[in-house]
Order: sequence, then C-alpha cells, then structure tokens
Amino acid sequence: MTTVVLAAAELLFLAILAPAVVGYVRWLKARLQSRRGADLFQPYREFRKTFAKGMVIADTASWLFHLAPYVVVASTVAAAVLVPVFSASQAGDQFGDLFALMALLILGTMFLALGGLDPGTAFGGMGSSREMTVAALTEPTLAIAVLALALTAGSSSLGVITGTLLTTPANAIGPGHALAFAAFLIAMLAETGRLPVDNPATHLELTMIHEAMILEYSGPYLALLEWAAALKLTLLLTLAANLFVPWGMATSVGAAALAFGLVVVVAKIAVLATLLALLETRVAKLRLFRVPELLAVSFTLALLAATSSFFTR
Amino acid sequence: MIGTALASAMAAFAAGAVFALAWPSGAGARRLSLASAFAGCVAALVLGVDMLDSGISWTWQSQAVLQPLGGVSLRVDPLGAFFVAIVALTGAPASLYALGYLRELDGRLRGRAVHALFNVFLAGMCLVPLADNAATFLFAWEVMALSSYLLVVSDPEQEGAAAAGLWYAVMTHAGFLALLAAFVMLAQNGPLEFPAMRAAAGTLTPAAQSTSVLLTLAAFGSKAGLVPLHVWLPRAHPAAPSHVSALMSGAMVKLGVYGTIRVLFDLMPPLSPWWGGAVLALGVVTALTGVLYSVAETHIKRVLAYSTVENIGLIFVGLGFALLMRAYDSGVLAAMGLVVALLHTLNHAVFKSLLFLAAGAVVHGARASSLEALGGLIKRMPHTAALCLIGVLALAAVPPLNGFTSEWLTFQLLLAGARYTAPSLAIMLPLALAAVALVAGLAAVSAVRFFGIAFLALPRTDGARDAHEAPLTMRAAMAMPALACVVLGLVPTLAVTQLTAVVSDLGLPMGQLDTGLALSLPLIGSRLWPIAIAALMAAAAIAAVLGTRAARGRQVRIDAAWNCGRIAQSPRSEYTAAAFAEPLKRVFTGFYRPTHEVTVEVHPVSPYFVRAITLRADLAPWMEQAIYAPVVRAAQRLSAQASRLHTGSIHLYLALLPAALLVLLLLGRWIR
Amino acid sequence: MDATFSLLTMTGASAMLLLALAVLWRHHVPAYITAFRMQSVALAFVGAVVAWFGDVSELFLVAALILALKGWIVPRILARMEARRPGDRGLHPLVNTEMSLLLSGGLAVAAYEISRPVAEVISLPTRGGLPLALALILVSLFIVVSRRQVIAQIVGFLMLENGIALLALLGAYGVPLVVELGVFLDVLLGVLVMQALVPGMGEPSAG
Repeated sequence: MTTVVLAAAELLFLAILAPAVVGYVRWLKARLQSRRGADLFQPYREFRKTFAKGMVIADTASWLFHLAPYVVVASTVAAAVLVPVFSASQAGDQFGDLFALMALLILGTMFLALGGLDPGTAFGGMGSSREMTVAALTEPTLAIAVLALALTAGSSSLGVITGTLLTTPANAIGPGHALAFAAFLIAMLAETGRLPVDNPATHLELTMIHEAMILEYSGPYLALLEWAAALKLTLLLTLAANLFVPWGMATSVGAAALAFGLVVVVAKIAVLATLLALLETRVAKLRLFRVPELLAVSFTLALLAATSSFFTR
Repeated sequence: MIGTALASAMAAFAAGAVFALAWPSGAGARRLSLASAFAGCVAALVLGVDMLDSGISWTWQSQAVLQPLGGVSLRVDPLGAFFVAIVALTGAPASLYALGYLRELDGRLRGRAVHALFNVFLAGMCLVPLADNAATFLFAWEVMALSSYLLVVSDPEQEGAAAAGLWYAVMTHAGFLALLAAFVMLAQNGPLEFPAMRAAAGTLTPAAQSTSVLLTLAAFGSKAGLVPLHVWLPRAHPAAPSHVSALMSGAMVKLGVYGTIRVLFDLMPPLSPWWGGAVLALGVVTALTGVLYSVAETHIKRVLAYSTVENIGLIFVGLGFALLMRAYDSGVLAAMGLVVALLHTLNHAVFKSLLFLAAGAVVHGARASSLEALGGLIKRMPHTAALCLIGVLALAAVPPLNGFTSEWLTFQLLLAGARYTAPSLAIMLPLALAAVALVAGLAAVSAVRFFGIAFLALPRTDGARDAHEAPLTMRAAMAMPALACVVLGLVPTLAVTQLTAVVSDLGLPMGQLDTGLALSLPLIGSRLWPIAIAALMAAAAIAAVLGTRAARGRQVRIDAAWNCGRIAQSPRSEYTAAAFAEPLKRVFTGFYRPTHEVTVEVHPVSPYFVRAITLRADLAPWMEQAIYAPVVRAAQRLSAQASRLHTGSIHLYLALLPAALLVLLLLGRWIR
Repeated sequence: MDATFSLLTMTGASAMLLLALAVLWRHHVPAYITAFRMQSVALAFVGAVVAWFGDVSELFLVAALILALKGWIVPRILARMEARRPGDRGLHPLVNTEMSLLLSGGLAVAAYEISRPVAEVISLPTRGGLPLALALILVSLFIVVSRRQVIAQIVGFLMLENGIALLALLGAYGVPLVVELGVFLDVLLGVLVMQALVPGMGEPSAG
C-alpha cells in the first residue's frame, strides 16, 4: 500500500513540477542571451489562462482531433508513473519497465501526429511526418541504451536498475556508463523536441516539428498538450538523472529520507535543466536531414556502451 | 469430440462449396455457402480449443483415399491444433465479411466460383496442420495453393492480377518441389510418415541434414514471405478479394511458419547454432525490408502486404532465437523463443485480418485503392475508421493492445539471451535488438501514415468524397478481430498459457508461469500488466476530460484551419502519402534506390515558356531486378536451348525413347 | 590502485576513439584538426598515466614529446596547409555520415570480438582498453579510405599512428624510447613533406 501512495505522490510531484522546469529553462536561456526573461512560474500562468479560454476547432477536424489530446495526456501520465523519482521502492515495476515506457511515449507521439494530420493543413502534415521520422530513428538508440543498463542490472525494470546501482556503485564507474548516458541525453533531445533537433520557441512554421502538430489546438486542449510536453521533458530528465546517478534516492519510507530524496531530485533536475539551457543557447538548430546523423552518433555511442558492458562482465 | 469437430468442419466446407455452385438463387448461394464456411470455422475452432484444453492427441488413418501415395493420415497435436485455431479465427470474420462484400457478384458465375473456392481454401488450410504424412500434407498444401491462386486471379478488373497470379503460382510450386525433396530426404528410404521421420531423425548425415534444412526454409520461407522469396506477397495480396487477402495474410503465410516449426523443431534433431543464427539474421533482414517498403508504398493493400512481410520477419526472429538456444542447450530460453514466435503469429493474424478487412471496406466504399486518392473517410465511414484505428494501433505495437505484448516479449527475450548466453552471441543479439527496435519505430510511422492519409484530412478525389460506410455485416466482421485485439492485449496470459502447453509438447518445457493477469516469464525480471496500464491511462484521460468540461463549458467556435492566410482550404495543400514518407526515403536512400525523372514541356515558340513539368519518382524494385531477372533470363535461355529438340524429325523423337531407356537401365545398375 | 589505473587509461582510450568518431561526424576541416589535437593530448595523458602507475619513467618523456609534436607542432602545420589551400568545402565523403557512423560502430564491435582472446591472455591492468585501441586503428583506416578531402585523409593517417601508439602503451607499457623517437621523426618528416606538396595537392583525390 505504501508503494502505491508513494507512486501517487511521485506522479503528483512530477505533474506539478513540470511547468516550472520548462519555465526555468526558458528563464535561463533568456538570461544567457542578455534578456530579462519571465520568471519560473510563467508557464503556470500560461496554463491557467489558456485553459480558461474558449476553443476554435477547424471545420475539417473530426473526432480524432478531440481524442488526441486525451490520449497524449494519458500516455504521458502512465509513462510518468513508471519513472523513479525520489524513492527507490517502485510501484511502477508491477506493471511496466523501460520498454513499456518507450512504447507509451511513442503512443503519445503517434496521436500527436494523427492530431496534426486531421485538420488537413500542410503544416500539420509536415510536423507529423518529421516527428514520426525522428521518433522512429530514436528507437534503436533508446533500445540499446536500455540494453546497456539492463545487462548490468539483470532486468529492464526501472526499480531494479536504480536499486542495483544504489547497492553496487562500482557498476557506474567506467566509460560504458558514461557513453550510455551521453547517448540517452542525445535521444532525449530528439524525443522532447529541443535544440538542435527542434526549436521549441520558433514562430516559423517551416522550421517546426512539434509545434506544427499542435498548431490547430487552442484553449484547454492546447493547455493540456503543452503541459504533457512539459511533463515529458521533466520525466525524461528525471529518468536520465535517476538511471545514471541514482544516489540520494530514498531507500526507506521514513519522512527524513523521502524529504532528502525530494531535495536531491530537484537539485539533479535543476543541474540537467541548466545543462540543457546552456546547450540550447550554444548550438543552432540542425537541418532536418542532418538530424539522422546526430541520431546515428547517439546510436554508435549506445552500441559502444552496450558492447563494453558485455565484455567487461 | 475432436473427431466429430473435424468431420463437421470438413462437411461444412464441402457443403459450402456445393451450395455455392448448385443453389439456384445467387443470393441464397452466397448466404448458404458463407454460412457453411462460418460454421466450418467454428467447428475448427472448437477442435483447436478442445485439443489444447484436454491435451489428448487424436489420430486417424485411412488407406481409402490417396492410396498410391501412402494413404491419408491425420493427427491432432497441440501445435497443429493451435494453427487450426488461427485459421478458424481468421476464417470466421472473413466469411461474415464476404456476405456484404460480395453482394454485387450475386447471380454471376464468378461469384459462385469465389464462394466455392473460399470454402475449399479454408478446408485445405485446416487440413495442413493436421497432416501426419507427406502425402496428406502435400495434398492439402496443393489444394490450398490452387484455390488461392484461382482466387487471386478471380477479378478481371484488378490490374496486374494475371501477373500476380503467375508469380504466385510459380513460386508456390517451386516451393512444393523443394518440400517434396525435403520430405524424401527426411524419410531416408523409409515410409513418408511423420512419426517414421521423427524416429529416424537421429540417423541423418550432416550433409543430408543441412540440405533438408535449406529445402525446408526455401519451401516454407517462400510461403511465409521471407526475403528474398517474398516477392509474390505484395503482388498477390492486393489482387485478391479483401476477405481472401485477410485469410492469406492472416492464416496462409502462418502455415509457412507452421511448416518450419514442424520440420525444424519436431521432425529434426537439434541443429547446429549456425542455422539458428542464419534464421535469426534472415528474420531481421525480412523485418527491415518489409517495414521499409510498407512505409514507402502507396497502394493501400500493398502497404499491408509488406507489413505482413515485416511481421513474418519478427516471427522468424523468435524462431531463430529458439533454434539458437536449443543448440546451446538452453532449454528455457528456447521454449520462450518459441512461445514468443507463436504468440506473435496469433497476434499478427488477428490484427492483420482486421486491417485487410478494413482496407477492403475502404476500397469498396471509396472506389479507390491508392492512398493518394483517399482522405477524409473518418467522417464518411466513422465505424470503419474506429475499427481500423484499433488495428493500426496494434500494428504499431503500442500498449495496451496485443501487438505490444509480443513486441515487449521479443525485447525481453533478446535481453535474456544476451545476459545468459555465450559471449559469441554477445554481438548478434544487441544488433538484433537494435534492428527490432528500428522496425518497431518504422512500423509506427507506417501505421500513422496509413491511417492518417487514408482517413484524416480532406478527401482527395470524388470517390473519397462520396464514400459510403460499409454494410453492417462487414462492420460486424471487423469488430470480431478488433475485440480479439483488445482482449489479447489486456489479458495476454490467456494465450500464453496455451502456448506453453504447445511448446512443452515439442520437447521444450518452460516451467512455472505467472498465471495472474500480468505477464512475467522465467528468467525475466520485469513484468507487464496491460490492464493496469490501461486503467491508469483511462483514469488520467477521464481526469483530463472532466477538467476540460469544467473549465470551458462556454464557447467552442468552428472556423477555418490556419493556412497562412489563404482563403479556402483545398485537398491539394494536404500532405500526400509519398510526402509523408519522404524524410525516411531520404535517410534510407541507399536501400530504396529511388529514380527521379523530370520532363519539361516547353512552348514551341521559346524554351523560356514552360507548359508543363512532370516529375516521376519511382522506387525501383531492385530486389526483383537483381535476383529474379537473372533467374528468369537463365530459364528463358535454357528453354530456348531445349526448344532445339523440336526439329520436327520423327527419327529424333523415336530415338529419345530408347536413349532414355538405356540411361535408366545403366543408372539402375550403378546406383545400388 | 589498479582500479584507478584501469579507469584512467580506459577513459583516455575512450576519449581517443570518440574523437576519431568526431571526424566522421563533422564536415569542416578545422574540426578535424582540433579533434586530432585533442586526441594527441589524450594520448599524452594515457602515456603519463602508464608512466606513473607502471613505473616506466621514460614514458614521461614520450608523453611530453607527443604533446609537443602531435599536440602542437603538427596541428599548426595542418592548419597552415588548410589556410593556404583554396577552399573545396563541398566535397562529400564516399560514404555518407550515418553509414560511416554505423560502420564504425560495427568496427568497434568487431574490434571487441577480435581482441577478446588477447584480453584473456594479457594480465595487465590496462587490458580493458585494448579493444578500444584496436577499434581506433580500424576506424582511422576507414577514415583514410572513405574521405575525399586530402587533409581529412592525412588526419586519418595521423590518428592511425595515434592508435598504434595507444595499442603499444596499453598492451606492453610502450615501446623502447629509441623506437618512439624514430616514429616521431617519421611523422614529422612525413607531415613536412606533405605540407610542401600541398599546393600541388589542392585538387581532391579522384573517386
């Protein structure tokens, strides 16, 4: 029972933290570009405002257009439950693992793409086509990164992987682990639509991938989709932090341990978000046809990680 | 019980064929023959389920039929029962579907022929898994092949049907010959009965063993659709009527899988690991080829045909893994591999038949079979669209449907194999895992493209604009496999427990299984609980819906979509199927070898005034050109040489007789 | 002690391999030269580590020489070659970027498989990095074969030298100082000769 309560608490935590992470990245990027930048809580205000607005639905849209935001939210929330946040006892292990998480994320992506195709605009089609291509090419990288982690831990369950690392930190030392981490970060950039794969702040439709698919959504639907995207970013950052650097997570259910775990995970997410903001300020967006090269780099890194973890066993 | 079920199934199919040909009224012939087919399928399903539940085998021999070849010999064992159940599960919806689909053929001879052949086809497919000697097997195989060939070429209006039939006929008969040779080799001068072959398996010489494996893979691989013997599949499936395509993709190619399992796992001893690795590699190549072409094709049924090739590849990945593990004496992993392969066989049969039936409904309703001519069907055919969406999601292997279950199990299998086996496998299995993951991603692209271009956005032609919804029988027929997809996805242990019985019967025991609602196989540390995932997703969705309802409640305005300020939206501005696949075609350009041809038509007065520019982009079928064209040319050269025998001289013809006699006498003398 | 030794050398070797991959990924020549320079610094680092933990003091001198020669002098020469040449930036390599990266991943896997029996025989703490050194050699050969720009081929060849040196360091704690000095002279002479011929090498190699 306590595991279920903890899982619910972790989900609530991620759900509430998500807009703040996006707000922090935006604020830091603004500061790095010598602008003032809106504060951390701006995305919350945007969410509240957008949610309260009325909606304009395209006359060419169908029931799928209305279904898509709910499926995206549902799949992202289900994926978020699987992620270990501040406690090492994982209720999520009972029903899924890393492969299930990957599949849930791709379910969300598919419905976003379908929602982009539905109104019949050229931009929606463009975004859908590009997004599905990038998602398809990211799959092998994520699978091999999962394999590299799962080989040392003996299982692809998230709780087992973090648990094994917590008890035997020696597994984390070595280039294999670092390579898998690097590969995972690059794949994460592709999955969440950040630079250099996609610019989340662009206004030019021809350069959009994720934004183009949600162009027709407004009001509560748009608020839900933006929040789901923020949740996806947050859960992937948490995953990156806790799968590769899990120390600080609570191994018991005492209040002190949990509080400490909470503080540590917020700190880890902050560090990763800072790195993300620095990276986004530093690089320019890649041409779409250069993105497969980037994904090939991350695949090669993941393959090297998997091979080295094989042979040093 | 099994005997009566089998007899009633065969009787029903026979009655169906007779009704189709003999009943006076066309509509009555259709209804009665298809009702018989449905009843036959139900009886076959009862047979299958009863055998799997009770575990008692049943045999039947008769020298009355096929006497010169050794008589008929039937045996119902778990493996055969499982495949009969698959045939039945695909055949029943197809029969129901044809009630509405072929209504316009009433009263024509072609309609009667199609219904009769349909029954014969089903009968043949039900007999193949039950055959216990080579004669029965080959007889049923040939019945299946001939009836399906006739069904493929049955529609004279289908362009390319004749050529498709030719490819199909030639390849299936080449496979027949290979199969005959394999059986003869396995029998080793003994009787051509499967029990005898099984007993004599240990005495095969390595050379004979390798040759039989090659022949088996060639024969059953071409039936299943392994690369490079898959070329008949994307030609034959689109040409056949939709319910027949559903049967061919759902059941017939699975009999190729059945044959492979029967020979390689049952009739032959454990093989060297090279074969397992070869089958695994072949499966990976097939899966990649199939999915890459399914992303690029524009004919609605050819997309699905290539997707069948992809899924067959995934099934053979499981089979190759099982062979490999058996060679390394890792019984549990081998059993798991076989279970996963069989589970994917079932799952694919279910969702692929749904998709073919839906494609047929689309072609029937919109009078167009190219993705580029469809669009907007979700508003004209909402029920078909919803059912097709379920099939498409199962194809893309997303939770909580059944496609995801076999996908997840394949990943876990490769992971377990990588962890627990010899380092020499350590290279192959991660690469296989990466390839399977890429295939999964590309299948998702293909699924979105298939559904999005056909059903969403605006209609691209008049046919799509005036599309009508499928009749009730067709929709009900589609709902059956859709329901099965959902049930198998939410409760996968239903099928998995039966499959462990099948696999143990083949000599690969698997031990204890978690029989709750969650899936957790031995040696795997992770669990999959689809119902929990579905419940979680439903809860989140309901919360979001309630929140949205509470929040806005006031205005929802319907207005034009954003088109950068253009006044009217036309279907010309939508993404086409070719455009959707364009980024992937660029990435994999080395595989596709596309050809571009641009012709510019200028005004006769001056070359600066352009009248028209035509771009023709083609995917060159390089596999056919590289592999088959040389074979066909060699065959033609050989025939040209042989035709020199037709000199017209009667002396030469007479001389051939004693020459042949002399050669045979000498051969008989020397080969003892 | 041994664990730290092994860890440091493996990190250095991995960094060298990744920098070779960078040559396959980037399209601009200055990036190649920077990658080579950083790779040589990593090689010097590995040399210093082996010298410290393996108690082979002449390797300190070798590391310093590597730093000076391959970390400073040769990149400067290469940069001068690049500056003098009329730009021929638009040359695409024989194998496109994605395939190059996938192939080099495959070469790395092959290198692991090939060096497995060797790694079982050698008992030095540095044996974990041997597959990486072999992979570096194979990838550098691939760079030489598949790039069209002359400078890229030269950089690939120099990386090959780095790889061989790494293999020697990890497998046998380096070769005698005389041999190292000889190799250095070879490299320096080779690059100087190539630099002298560069105006005549402005055209890309055919095919």
